[in-house]
Amino acid sequence: MPDGIDTLVEKIGAQLGAVEEVIDLGKKYQGIVVAKVVKCEKHPNADKLSVCLIDDGKTVKNVKRNKDRLVEVVCGAPNVAAGQLVAWIPPGVTVPSTEDKESFVLEAREIRGVVSNGMIASAKELALGDDHSGIVVIDEPAKPGQPFAEVYGLNDYIIDIENKMFTHRPDLFGMLGIARELAGIQNQVFKSPGWYKEKVEVPKPRGNGLKLTIKNQLPQLVPRFMAVAIRDIEVRPSPVRLQAYLSRIGIRPINNIVDLTNFFMMETAQPLHAYDYDKLSAGSIETRLAKAGEELVVLGGKKIKLHKEDIVIASGGKAIGLGGVMGGAGTEVDASTKNIVIEVANFGMNSIRRTAMTHGLFTDAATRFTKNQSPRQNLAVMAKAMADIMSMAGGRQASALVDDKHFKQVEQKVRVTVDFINARLGEQLTLVQIKKLMENVEFKVEISGETLKIEAPFWRTDIEIPEDVVEEVGRLYGYDHLPLELPSRNLTPAELNRSLAFKQQISEILSAAGANEVLNYSFVHGSLIEKAGQDIALAFHIKNALSPDLQYYRPSLAPSLLEKVHPNIKAGFDSFCLFEIGRAHVRGILDKGKLPAELDRLAFVFADKRADKSRGASYYQAKHYVLFLADRLGVGEFISVPLSEADLAPEWRQVAKAYAPARSAAIFSDQTFLGLVGEPSSSLRTGLKLPSYTAQAELDLVALATVSMGSVYEPLNRYPSLEQDITLKVPAELTYAEIVDFVSNFLDKLSQPAGYQGSVGPLDIFQSSTDKTHKNVTLRIVMTHPGRTLTTQEVNKLLDELAAEAKTSLKADRI
Amino acid sequence: MEYKNKEVQAAAKVLREKLEKLEDKRAILRAPELGALYERIKTLPAGKARAEFGKQANALKSELESLVRKTVTSNLSPATSIDVTAPFDVNVKAEDRPKLLTADSGSRHPLMSELETILDIFCRMGFTAVESREIDDDYHMFSSLNFPPGHPARDEYDTFVTDEGLIAPAHTSIMQNRVFGSMETPIRAVIPGRVFRNEDLDARHEHTFYQLEGVYVDEGINAGHLIATLKTFFQEYFQKDIEVKTQPFYFPFTEPSFEFAASCPFCDGKGCNICSQTGWIELLGCGMIHPSVLKEGNIDPSKYTGFAWGGGIERLVMIKYGIEDIRHFHSGNLKFLRQFA
Repeated sequence: MPDGIDTLVEKIGAQLGAVEEVIDLGKKYQGIVVAKVVKCEKHPNADKLSVCLIDDGKTVKNVKRNKDRLVEVVCGAPNVAAGQLVAWIPPGVTVPSTEDKESFVLEAREIRGVVSNGMIASAKELALGDDHSGIVVIDEPAKPGQPFAEVYGLNDYIIDIENKMFTHRPDLFGMLGIARELAGIQNQVFKSPGWYKEKVEVPKPRGNGLKLTIKNQLPQLVPRFMAVAIRDIEVRPSPVRLQAYLSRIGIRPINNIVDLTNFFMMETAQPLHAYDYDKLSAGSIETRLAKAGEELVVLGGKKIKLHKEDIVIASGGKAIGLGGVMGGAGTEVDASTKNIVIEVANFGMNSIRRTAMTHGLFTDAATRFTKNQSPRQNLAVMAKAMADIMSMAGGRQASALVDDKHFKQVEQKVRVTVDFINARLGEQLTLVQIKKLMENVEFKVEISGETLKIEAPFWRTDIEIPEDVVEEVGRLYGYDHLPLELPSRNLTPAELNRSLAFKQQISEILSAAGANEVLNYSFVHGSLIEKAGQDIALAFHIKNALSPDLQYYRPSLAPSLLEKVHPNIKAGFDSFCLFEIGRAHVRGILDKGKLPAELDRLAFVFADKRADKSRGASYYQAKHYVLFLADRLGVGEFISVPLSEADLAPEWRQVAKAYAPARSAAIFSDQTFLGLVGEPSSSLRTGLKLPSYTAQAELDLVALATVSMGSVYEPLNRYPSLEQDITLKVPAELTYAEIVDFVSNFLDKLSQPAGYQGSVGPLDIFQSSTDKTHKNVTLRIVMTHPGRTLTTQEVNKLLDELAAEAKTSLKADRI
Repeated sequence: MEYKNKEVQAAAKVLREKLEKLEDKRAILRAPELGALYERIKTLPAGKARAEFGKQANALKSELESLVRKTVTSNLSPATSIDVTAPFDVNVKAEDRPKLLTADSGSRHPLMSELETILDIFCRMGFTAVESREIDDDYHMFSSLNFPPGHPARDEYDTFVTDEGLIAPAHTSIMQNRVFGSMETPIRAVIPGRVFRNEDLDARHEHTFYQLEGVYVDEGINAGHLIATLKTFFQEYFQKDIEVKTQPFYFPFTEPSFEFAASCPFCDGKGCNICSQTGWIELLGCGMIHPSVLKEGNIDPSKYTGFAWGGGIERLVMIKYGIEDIRHFHSGNLKFLRQFA
């Protein structure tokens, strides 16, 4: 490591992947030293304890020593004995296993009358595994007083790198791959070990054999299945070094065979599996898909129901493992195992992904196979694993190495020019620079003119196109070194998004009118749709919703806003107007791309807890807001039609269900339908605890945009206008619009040829409590003339004419 | 309904008569006669009789509640039609007629106004805004973005799926293919939109949030352009000079892919609470658009290259105002909303 740890971590972050954590492992073992047990005697007052005198090379300070300068320690382990080299945790030192939790610092303590100066540590206390049954006996050369961490290479750092960015990099799920990459990003040459990279001879069996038959029935899903039998091995705990290695990367040591298979997976990213040969049926192993109703007890004892698409390893017709994911408990290697079968296979990533998800078994093996492991490294891994197993556990190869192959042994080759790479990086790298960067991580690179002929090493499955090489070069070079330059462009203005601009305009108008913009979820509870009276079958249903609250796409927006009324009233807000600009979705309503239409809507609600009868129907308040908005947007010819009389499109018929039909309207601009405004249906009122003065509106934003003309200007008149009020007593069933339309038409007729300009507005609508058959509508007429000042007599005369016509046309009496 | 207990039966009779006369029917639930029944329960010795009395009192209470509900419901939704063409109701005095609330109570949603600020910068830089979708198909969510069917990279996106197999988009990248197909090169587009992830809610995680996607496709576009463009944007956004860095990442739709971080603009990279003392804030994911994605969008990757990025909006707003809980955004809570202009 040419750079210090901080520089390296920074480099990893910039050129490999996000560093989650850096653990200084050495710190964990600070103060723990190798000691020799010089004397070990039974504790005078306790059967199961021993009193030991240990020699730490006299290195530890501030500890009580006897005349020989040895230290007395009480030990409860049955395996402690004189002559052993052990790990001693002196007083004042933290027990490593407690370091992450509440750290426990040892002190000299009296145990049944004998003072124990610290402790002799077990694997568990040293955070090297679960074993608490005895102390760790150092099995490698060491000197008393030597820091314990040194003996097993624990004076080290653990750099925890997030693996999300390795999704396409099977090799980076093994130590070799990471080491190679670390060299590469530091511009150093990496050389894979010879056993891994060089041509491997297929190992041959020796002596009496074991019968091993492999039947791979899934050549598509299992492109390579390699297995071998080894006999007469001895299963026992692994050497401390191996246990220490595995535990520091979070793998529990089990026994030498299992530990070695795990070690090789961690070293090469190639998962291995060991079976107890004698638990197989006549030495036979097959791969096949699971059968209907088949079950398997996996390692750890959990029984799972297999899925028909699971790859199963079977023996004698019975499932013994979930291929590439987890082994079965029935063929587990345990203390009694004598003969084993080692499997080094390759499983298809998609199938493994499905199986891991189906059973929730996200094992280390599954994680690796889902990254598309290369089937071309199996032989090297197998040969090395066999050799190490036999050297650690004894035994000999008892069968031929079976190698069932169904993949093409082709090298991944890519040709790419130096210009191609530089054009995509925005850099000026030379052929030689690129060649060096790639060769550092063991690519074969040949230069031919301006072209690089690149051959990916066999462990890489991700180099297919020239862009993959660009990524490799850029990363190894360091993206942070690229020159930063903005792209240049001509002055053509970027196209304006009118829809977004329109939405922004509406939001500004409404917020300036005291309304509050709200964002609600796109998903609602089915009960809200039902309370709104809408057909739930027309709402898109989410089959993997987090909760019933989020189960349906909302077919209209206003109900979600109405839902927000009660909580705000409870929070002390008496009167408010909420609005939302969003999308509704209705099943069966499709857009041009045959996908569900994104229905752009504006919804708003107005609620006033304090309003009483004197305010009249809340409908008018909502309409007031709609009219205000329409006015600001320049919407002409605004028309309200009673909801019961309106002919609505299917998606709006659903919206309309949320409205009280007698007290709501469909609104139009001339012929263009804009939306609905009105009071909530009674089921919404009670269901959402709405105050009685609550009204809502929902508008079609696309339609609204088409009729929004902006401000309309009329030249100012030089002459003053004249106002006159007129009250008409009309039959109660005559609508306000009919009266105003009549008046407006009358005023329009006056413009030609006489040139009068008139406008009309409401002053009052009155109905007596005794006569419900009539109402009095008072209007204010404003008259002007572009050529002269009008006289009162003149206007009065016009109004007399108006009243006369109203009498015949509307049966109206002037009051 | 008859009540076996005489006291309850007597109270029922009185209360029903009272209800008839009441204008506000809800007042019956606060009537002293009803309260007295419940007081009475307390005086009875514990046992069967007391339990039975309590049961009957409760039955009477629910009878009254249901009577009230009937009357209230019918009051709230009068069958009487109103003249929807009128500007206000009959006999409503001028001061009681509909009027707008005062401007000071109004507010824009902070996410929407922040999005506008962001879009404004990009529009000034020459990008066109394109709106995203809230429901889409597998093709736009995955296949068009170089995720083969069944590919494990899909697992990174925990999507909501409808019964018909439609998808609530987990990223705004769903629009890339559409933008490539509909715009002429040079393509410069920013795509704001709502995205969804199947994630449990807590103060820092939302299942619904806003993202801004950006794409730039032209001849000769390179990774240096990408980093420079984003750096320029964030300097304008934060109104100060910042350092940026990239971290290699993996997305199927970009090659190479990065995570993009900027020096913390609040402490100038010295380390503060906002950047968790790291001096850096991670802002978005980005990369050079994968040639398969360009090809799928009918753009010739041998002639054109491009970059794309996508980042969340919530975090920027939360940092800006010190908002402590992401759930406020979709709460509809006026105490939250009215703090924003």
